[in-house]
This record gives sequence, structure tokens and C-alpha cells, in this order.
Amino acid sequence: MNYPVWEVPKLGGAWVIGIVSIFHVLIAWFAVGGGLYLPMAESKLYREKREDWLPVLMKHSRFFLVLTSIFGAVSGVGIWFSIGLVHPEATSTLIHNFVFGWAIEWVFFVVELAAAAVYYYTWNRIPRELHLKVGYLYAIASLLTLVIINGILSFMLTPGRAWLDVAGTGTEASRFWWAFFNPTYFPSLIMRILACLSLAGIYALITYSRSDEEALAKSRIHMVRWTAGWLAPMFLLMPLTLLWFLHQIPSENRGLLELGMNTIGSGAFTQVTRIAMLTIITTLTIAGVVYLFAYKWPRDLSLGHSIALLGLAVIATASTEYARETVRKPYVISAHMYSNGVRKRDVARINAEGYLSRSIWTPVTSNTVTLGHQVFRGQCMSCHTVGGYRAMTQLLQGRDRKAIGQLLATLHDPPKDSMYRKYMPPLVGKQDEIDALGDYLATISVKPAEAPLKLAPTPAAPTPAPVAPTAPTAAATPDKKVTLR
Amino acid sequence: MSKTQDYIVERLGIGEVLAHARNKTVPKHEYSFWYYWGGISLFCFLVQLVSGILLLLYYRPGPEAYDSVRQITYETHFGWLIRSVHNWSASLFLASVFIHMFSVFFMKAYRSPREFGWFTGLGLLGIGMLFGFSGYLLPMDTLAYFATKVGLDIPSSIPIVGPPIANLIRGGLEVGEFTVQRFFTLHAVILPLLFLPLLGLHLWLVQKHGNAVPPGEETKPVAERKSIPFFPNFVAKDLAMWLITLNVIALLAALFPWQLGEMSDPLGSAPVGIHPEWYFMSQFQTLKVFGKLFPGYAGEALGMTLFTVGIALWALIPFYDIRGAASSRAKKATYFGIAVITFTIVMTVWGYLSV
Repeated sequence: MNYPVWEVPKLGGAWVIGIVSIFHVLIAWFAVGGGLYLPMAESKLYREKREDWLPVLMKHSRFFLVLTSIFGAVSGVGIWFSIGLVHPEATSTLIHNFVFGWAIEWVFFVVELAAAAVYYYTWNRIPRELHLKVGYLYAIASLLTLVIINGILSFMLTPGRAWLDVAGTGTEASRFWWAFFNPTYFPSLIMRILACLSLAGIYALITYSRSDEEALAKSRIHMVRWTAGWLAPMFLLMPLTLLWFLHQIPSENRGLLELGMNTIGSGAFTQVTRIAMLTIITTLTIAGVVYLFAYKWPRDLSLGHSIALLGLAVIATASTEYARETVRKPYVISAHMYSNGVRKRDVARINAEGYLSRSIWTPVTSNTVTLGHQVFRGQCMSCHTVGGYRAMTQLLQGRDRKAIGQLLATLHDPPKDSMYRKYMPPLVGKQDEIDALGDYLATISVKPAEAPLKLAPTPAAPTPAPVAPTAPTAAATPDKKVTLR
Repeated sequence: MSKTQDYIVERLGIGEVLAHARNKTVPKHEYSFWYYWGGISLFCFLVQLVSGILLLLYYRPGPEAYDSVRQITYETHFGWLIRSVHNWSASLFLASVFIHMFSVFFMKAYRSPREFGWFTGLGLLGIGMLFGFSGYLLPMDTLAYFATKVGLDIPSSIPIVGPPIANLIRGGLEVGEFTVQRFFTLHAVILPLLFLPLLGLHLWLVQKHGNAVPPGEETKPVAERKSIPFFPNFVAKDLAMWLITLNVIALLAALFPWQLGEMSDPLGSAPVGIHPEWYFMSQFQTLKVFGKLFPGYAGEALGMTLFTVGIALWALIPFYDIRGAASSRAKKATYFGIAVITFTIVMTVWGYLSV
């Protein structure tokens, strides 16, 4: 705990990253796919002499410019802010390894932004060939930003043996290329490019479905059908790339996906399977709707359909990102750093020397509940909240102090096949710190209330339960004797 | 291919049906969106049918009911998914039927010659609610047990005939394995036997009379009215809606899978905060309010009377609103609809706030 803890009540810090990232990804992927879509569509219109559609494409490029260069750029910075606050240790590790990677990405990003602005403002002002070249320059620059960031993101799931061998020695940056071109680099890159092309298609369908001028009907049908083709690579190649990706990740990570097939357990452990399932179903639905309304009957494509497609794409993207992040559990950087920022190689030392003694922000006190709260903030709060997302009040299920102690003992040294070991970082620290955490958790563990029930079939009792299948009295409080009938 | 088609069409004698489908059109206007809700309801029912059949493969009514649902939820591969889909699609089915019913009401699609479409639709809604009621007990966890126990106290409170009726439904003096067996028979045999032919009649009537146009559209000259072919255009749009609905069900099942409570214990306490499913909440709250205002039988009787009269008026509306869109009866019918929908929403929200 070298950094102060950022406490986000109810929502939890992880969801702040999640929301900002999903918003950013939806725009950034469009920036990459749309970058290629615009000059290719423009070139097609020139070639096929469909210039009546050029104004629609210009309108699309304005929407593109505003969305990517304003919202994309702002949300990108938002990711930096949020990961720095929620996962300072992990962010520090990434910066120390990839600082030059990021520097290069920013160069490409500046080129991308400049090219996007030039592309939009020079429609009909410079020769067409030159305008197309600006468009392709944009496409290349934006693709290169993805090529870079993909190395860093995929590193977190599969850092690779070469990097792990030197992790913690201070010479990690010497394995930059091994870490960058890690085992999941190429399947991830291809999956992301496929998603980028699909999103470019979906956003274009939104612009096109808004154009309902009768004079443009013929071009509209043609362009809508052509745009449907942008989603085809996704559906043809995605299953193969997904299998390749799953093959490349360690078996214990794959095991997390299998966990949710045969049980819902307490819910939290199997979320990743359930969410991954959404990716599949929403992606297949996008395929179905695009086939029906963009390919088969392009005349019937309405704005409602396009918006629904975008909504499905949002769910697909959010689910995939969530699943990708969660499948890494219990790590934030696989086999190196746990999701609470504790390094794997430090576990034995912290258990011997203590957790709080290494935490420079811990207040000086002998109150065990306060100290336990500090352990909670440091080790639990990167994933849990007190009463919101993955709420401790709910997950403790009303355990008393003794039962909490037993749970913490399991978390400290989980049995080999325990779900806790697969999903959660081990609880680290000396026994007195674990006891302090137990004291704190006991203060927030609420026993589920029970309503004393008196089933009194006396005819004069007032509360009727009609046709309802679950029809007890409504305002049943624990301290109030309730008569149900 | 065409020869095979002709062979089949000729032997099945479905030439007329195909011709009907080819020539059928669906009106296109600003309220066309509401036409999809019947289809969405149908789709939700089909999802329930399929998921229900899959649950039948593992569910065992009687003394093993709870254990079999526990196996489905925690052991069978994707059993939790099928169960969650079944439960969520039940809620979505009733929600879409309610939306469908109110849209039919406000578009005045119950008027001649579509009265029987209205009656059969109401019948399907009623059976749908009974499906919900009977399905609720089947897991036999604490919540299901106490809810049913309490629910069945209602008929038993009717003097003289009440207790024998309640015992008949329960299969004894207490809710137990025989009750589950009976509810299961109702849920998986009797209700489907009633529902499916009624659904067939409802769908046939829709095909026979076509989609009704709202009063605003009726005043337009026929030449100005727009329509789209039923096949393939409207069917494709319907299919898209079905796909979206499937995704909503999947989303709900994945994010909020149905859990299973503790095994029911006749001697245990009822859990706090149990309340009816949302589709019974407005009735429940109304009866509760009447019960408080008029303690004893008076409140219960008043509440029940109000409901019976309300439902009767609602069902008989096609016989009242018969004099054209501009008539005062048509306006009164619309006001009645607004009153009913407001009352239902207010009572439901109130019910949830006072849980």
C-alpha cells in the first residue's frame, strides 16, 4: 500500500474504470474501423459514379470527427485517471514497462487527430486523390494506435514467461518486445480489428438509415448493402480467432469460464461465464438483424433497427471487455500482481512481516476495527464495496465473528481446488491483521431478518391475500409481529 | 423444388393460406410500433414452452421437488440458464401481453368485427397469470411454500364451501408434496391444454380480420393509407423484434439469474419482505388498502367486488364502444382505459413502496 486508496461508494472503483473504458472502446474502435471505412466508401462512390451519396458520407465524416476526436480523446484520458486512482500499483508497473510504447502511441494519435480534421475540412477543397490519401493516412495512424495499445492490454492477461522471469528485478523493460508480442497479442489484435470493422459498419448504418430522401433511394440501398459487408469478416473469422485466443490463455483462466456452466454458485464466481454468454448471443443477433435489414431487405432498414444494432453492439462490447478483464482473475497482471495490487512474490514476506507495516497511509491507532478497515481498503476494496457492487454486507450472509474468522482463514490459505483460490487473491498479513479485518467485517455483517409468522386462519383477520401467489402482508419488519393469512 | 412445393401444397390443401399470406398487408402509420407486441408475447410464450420442456427433463414433482430444482440450478450444465430463462420470459410474457392489451384498447382494435379477438386475448392473459401462480410453488423453497400457503388461505376463508375447495386444491390440509403434484399437473398439463387451442383461435382471428387501424387513421381516405406486405417485410420486422426480445431475456438471465432459497420448512419463519410477483401487485395492494379501510369481511368483499366489476366492464367494452370514433361513448371508453392504466401503475408502485 504505497498509495492512498480511492474509495468509490456503492459503485466501486472497478466499475468507474469499466464505464469509462467501455465508452472509450466503443468510440476508439469506431475511430479505427471508421478510419478505413470513410476513404474506402469515398473511393467507391467516385469509382461507381454514385456522387449523389457524397453529401451523406460528408455528414457521416462530421459525426465521425466529433465523436472520435472529442469524446474518444476525453474518455482516453479518463481511463488514465481512473486506472491511476483505482490500480496505482498496476499502472505503475505498466508505465515502467511500456513508457516508450505509450510515447509512440501518442505520436500516432496526434497524426490521427490532425488527419481527421484535415479530412473533414478539405472535402471538395483539395483534389480528390489527395483527399483520399489524407483519409488513408488517418486509417494507418489509427490502426497503429491499436497495434500499440493491444500489446499492453494483452500483456496483462499473458505477460509471457520471458517477462515473468525478470519481473521484480528492475530489469523488466529489457523484455519489452517479449512482453509486447505476448502469447495473446495476435489473436487479440485480430479480434479487435474485426470488432473495429463491424462498429464502423454499424455507425454508418445509423447515418444511412436517417437519410430517407426518395431521390437517393437507389444509392441508399446499394450503400446499405455494401456496408453490411463490413460486418461479414467479424462473423466469419470471430469464432476461429476466439478459439485461438482461448487456446493461448492459461488453462486456469479457461477454467474460470467453465465454472459457470454447471452452477450459478453464489453468483460472483460465475459472472464471467454468464457475461461471456451475452457476447455470443448479442453478436449472433447483430448478424441476424444485419442480414435481414441491411443485406436481404435494405429498403426496410429503419433508424430504430440501426439504434438497436448499436445497443446490441454496446452490450457485446461491454460483455467482451468485462469477460476479458474478469478471466484474468485473481490477477491484474497474470501470475505477477493480484487484483488488489499485491505482488505474488511478496505474499510470503507480507505474511511474515505484516501488511499494514508496509502501508504508509495507515493511521496510528490500536483500535482493531479501524486497523481492520485499513486492511479492507487495501486488500478488498479494489473489487468489493461495503453495500453496493459485490457488497460485503450481502456476501458475508450474516456470518458471526467466529464464522468470519473461519472464512478469513480459508481466504488466507485456500485449499488447492477452492473457488476462492481460482478467483480471489489470497488474504495476506500477520494473524493480528487478519483478526482486525475480522473485527471490522463483523461490524458490517448483518444477519438477515426474519419475520415471526403466525398463520392464523381466523376469519376476522383483516389482511386478505388475493389471487397473488406470494401474498403475505407487505410491511413486515423484524421487530413487528406480523399476522399472515 | 417447385414441383415438390406443388406436391406438398396440393396434398395439404394450403394453397388458400399461402395466397392469403402473399396478399396480406399490414397498415403503416405512426402507431405501427404497437403492432409488434402481440408477436413479442407469442415469442415469449414459445420461449417458455421450450424452456419448460427442458425443465421437465429434470424436474421431479412431489417429495423430491426441491432437490430436483436444486440439481437443475446448481449441478446440471446450463440448468440455471434454462430455469432463469423460463422465469424471466414468464415476466416478459405477461408484461408484453399487458402492453399488447392496452395498445389494443387505445387503438380501439376491439371494435366489430374483432370482439372475439379481445375476449380470447383476455382469456389468454388470465391463463397466463394462472401459469405464474401455479409455477411459483414448484421449486418448493421457503418463499414458494409460504406464498402458496398464504394464497390458499383465501379460498379456505369462504364460509362452508371454502375449506373443502382449499383442501381440494392443496391435496390435503397442509401444503406439501401432493400440492406440488397438483400444481404441477395444472402448470404442465391442464393450463397448456386450455391455452394452446385458445391461442390458436386468437391467432386465427388476427389472420382472418387483419390488423385494425387506429381511429385517426380510419378517417383518412383509403388511397392515402400506407401499408407494407405481411410477407416478407412485416414478418422480417417481427423476427427482428423476436431477436431483440431473446437478447433481453438472455441479458436478464445472465445478469440476474434466479436463485433458489432454503428448502421449505413448515415450522420455520416466513422471510421478511415477501410480496407478490409484480403482475399481482396492484390487486394485492388494492385489497390491502380496502382491508385497512374496512376491517374484516367488508373490506375483502368490497375489494373483490370492485375487481369483479372492473374486470367485467373491461371485458365487455366492445359492446359499449360501438358508435364510431367521435362518439361520446368512444371518448368515455378512452377515459376508462386511462383510469385503469393509471390505477394499475399507481397501485403497483405503492405496493412496492410499502413492502
